[in-house]
Amino acid sequence: MSRQPVITGLGVIASPGYGVETMWDAIASQRDGLKPLTLFPSPRYGPEPVGEVQLDLLQLGAPRSASRSDRLGWLAAREAIQSSGLNLADFGDRAGIVLGCSVGGSFDSERFLIKLIKEGKFRPRSTRYHECNMTANLIADSFGLFGPAMTVSTACSSGALAIANAAEMIQAGEADVMLAGGADSLSRMTWAGFHALLLVDGRGCRPFDGTRGGMSLGEGAAVLVLEAEDSARRRGAKILARLSGWGASCDAHHITAPHPEGAGAVAAMRTALARAGLDPSAIHYVNAHGTGTRDNDLAEAKALKALFGERVPPFSSTKRFFGHSLAASGAIEAVLCIEALRRQQLPPNPGFGEIDPAIGLEPVRELADARLTHVMSNSFGFGGNNAVLIFSTPDTTPHTRVAKVAPVNVTGLGVIGQGVVTMRDITAPLPAEQLLVRSCDPLPGAALLTPNQRRRLGRPHQMAVLAARASHTPVPDQRVAVAMGTGFGCLAEGAAFIENYVAKDEAEPMPARFPGSVHNAPAGQIAMDLGARGLNSAPTAGEITFECALWQAWRQLDAGEADVALAGAFDELQNYLLGIGQRWGVWTERTIPGEGAVVARLTVGEADCSALARVTSVRLGRYRRPFDSARELAWIADAVDLSAVGVFLSGARGYPVLDPLYDSVADEISRSVGRIIEHQTYKQLCGEFHAASAFGFSVAVRLANERQCGVLLYTLSARGGKALCLVQPVLRL
Amino acid sequence: MAVSTTELKTRIIEALNLQDITPEQIEDDAPLFGTGLGLDSIDALELVVMMEKHYGIIIKGIEEGGPAFRSVRALADFIDARRASA
Repeated sequence: MSRQPVITGLGVIASPGYGVETMWDAIASQRDGLKPLTLFPSPRYGPEPVGEVQLDLLQLGAPRSASRSDRLGWLAAREAIQSSGLNLADFGDRAGIVLGCSVGGSFDSERFLIKLIKEGKFRPRSTRYHECNMTANLIADSFGLFGPAMTVSTACSSGALAIANAAEMIQAGEADVMLAGGADSLSRMTWAGFHALLLVDGRGCRPFDGTRGGMSLGEGAAVLVLEAEDSARRRGAKILARLSGWGASCDAHHITAPHPEGAGAVAAMRTALARAGLDPSAIHYVNAHGTGTRDNDLAEAKALKALFGERVPPFSSTKRFFGHSLAASGAIEAVLCIEALRRQQLPPNPGFGEIDPAIGLEPVRELADARLTHVMSNSFGFGGNNAVLIFSTPDTTPHTRVAKVAPVNVTGLGVIGQGVVTMRDITAPLPAEQLLVRSCDPLPGAALLTPNQRRRLGRPHQMAVLAARASHTPVPDQRVAVAMGTGFGCLAEGAAFIENYVAKDEAEPMPARFPGSVHNAPAGQIAMDLGARGLNSAPTAGEITFECALWQAWRQLDAGEADVALAGAFDELQNYLLGIGQRWGVWTERTIPGEGAVVARLTVGEADCSALARVTSVRLGRYRRPFDSARELAWIADAVDLSAVGVFLSGARGYPVLDPLYDSVADEISRSVGRIIEHQTYKQLCGEFHAASAFGFSVAVRLANERQCGVLLYTLSARGGKALCLVQPVLRL
Repeated sequence: MAVSTTELKTRIIEALNLQDITPEQIEDDAPLFGTGLGLDSIDALELVVMMEKHYGIIIKGIEEGGPAFRSVRALADFIDARRASA
């Protein structure tokens, strides 16, 4: 069975319009995609050029109950599914989604803060879609996807990384069809944030040009249908291209600036080439990240020269067609690369006028016919986060690399959590109330941080760094991957930035808060702290976030791309989260909000005496409504040997609505194995937060050793996600 | 009136949250970046905001403020020059 990932459908919406044909029209006619901002007023910067989608999304059919990002993502997904000719109902649990999102519902939830700060009115309704994972949830619910579903939130590399993850899902045999891509809307946060970093060119971006002065923001979404080659052939689908290689790395250098020599970019390109089994000379075109900032373009050009030597292939940045649409950009550019392959044409680099002597390279100036077999797409993001994809024509022979899925050893565990129960004031401008919380304040071990970490990092970043350090001690030349998930991200950083933005009408922005607010900022801090230059990911998927991180980390070990993989998750208590939860009646004496960060150090190979436990199975999916416990039992039994399970460890005692579901699954397992399986929980210890199952994992490791039995960590998310993970004791002689 | 370097040091410490540093520990002519305080490009951006907030000076590109970031004295001179020309 060929599990090579091929592309059978495409969908895109961006500044040029809706649809792949519209996009290519814009490219062929070299239409400038930038136009004056109309989405919200900008007193300080005025209507500078951006890649705004000026279409009525509702009229195009997008769902009403959704954020702007959700609607963009949904429209791209609809086109992709239609163009693939898929009947998703045929695939059941075998179709899933991985989406890259970094803005999420911010554009909509900003309205909540504006109302609150300007008018003193507490109207949290618009924050319902705030989570980055909402777009993936919406698409999964709307189109009937019951396979693995998650979101990658690594700023500007999210879309590319999501596509790579989807390919890994297919290769590992966990799905036959995956929707993959990215979606991000414009928002005041990103608009003011990039301005605060002085990275925006008021004249519109001019990538690689000698006089370039920065980037231009954009928005949009693109979705690819990735399919196992066998599945595509069986149903007679038209194969548009292959995804033949992908690679990820981290500069571990700085939170915003790229490594000056593009070292991480080179590493990611090399990994992608190795995966595709190609020499650099096989690449016929590179779609550059090319944001138009002085530093990015120079570092990327240096990286291209380091990899390709004298023979840098034709390359272009297409950012001026779309603006830089952050998490969507990697996906939009993937669609563009596939279209370039199909049409055998090189996309140009609008905005380029004169060569930069420091770069010494000239991008593609005009649309041109060319023989294209393999093309590369680069995406680089905050935190030195690099992702590279290679697409190839369908007639190429894929480089087969067998994905072995071996158990992983847990060889370290860092836990910041199980905080003390205290009363916390939700202070003005929220209705002043007192709430019972499980807080990690003051942070244990904070004195171990460096002065710069203490003065600059937010609490989640500090928690993440401390947990990671407790799990792992760096060894020179060891390749370390990091997957550090989060449900809500660095809320306090983002809220502080927007509060200030609203209160001061864009004046006196907070440059350090903006890069600190992205979901992958703590993962990036871990990378810098520990010198971890492998994959650096930040998955988000509600309550199953940690399991997604575990899954990503494991794949890096499987692929032999890391010697050590750190899998973890964090979330923080934040006043708005508490206040809005209070208003909606989420918090009770029973459901106590909590916070924490947990990192597990994973390695492969024979478990030696240093191993704390083994993880023998991780699986992600979505459950059906109404909940069917018999179906869940079958799903679990397919992934794990139930006879090895001694304890069922669930996320119950958090949100009450999930408790009966957990109980019904525990009962099904007991019935099926003919003995009572003990049902344990952990949220009574750590409180309720999206990353809590990471804490559950640490409990599973302890229980597996105490009881000398397998512990099944089983987690449901209120939004339909589910995950399992089997933790087994290490046999000691 | 010329801006005093002592005042400026207090503002820098506040803007950059330099918790363990006192104004006396910063020399007027010592480099702010690269060595010493361990500041980076994000700190430079925070100083740009500090200049806007306290001295009403708006800097649009980091190159524009480049020479100002050499030392506290250079920053004071930059602020004086900008205010004189305003």
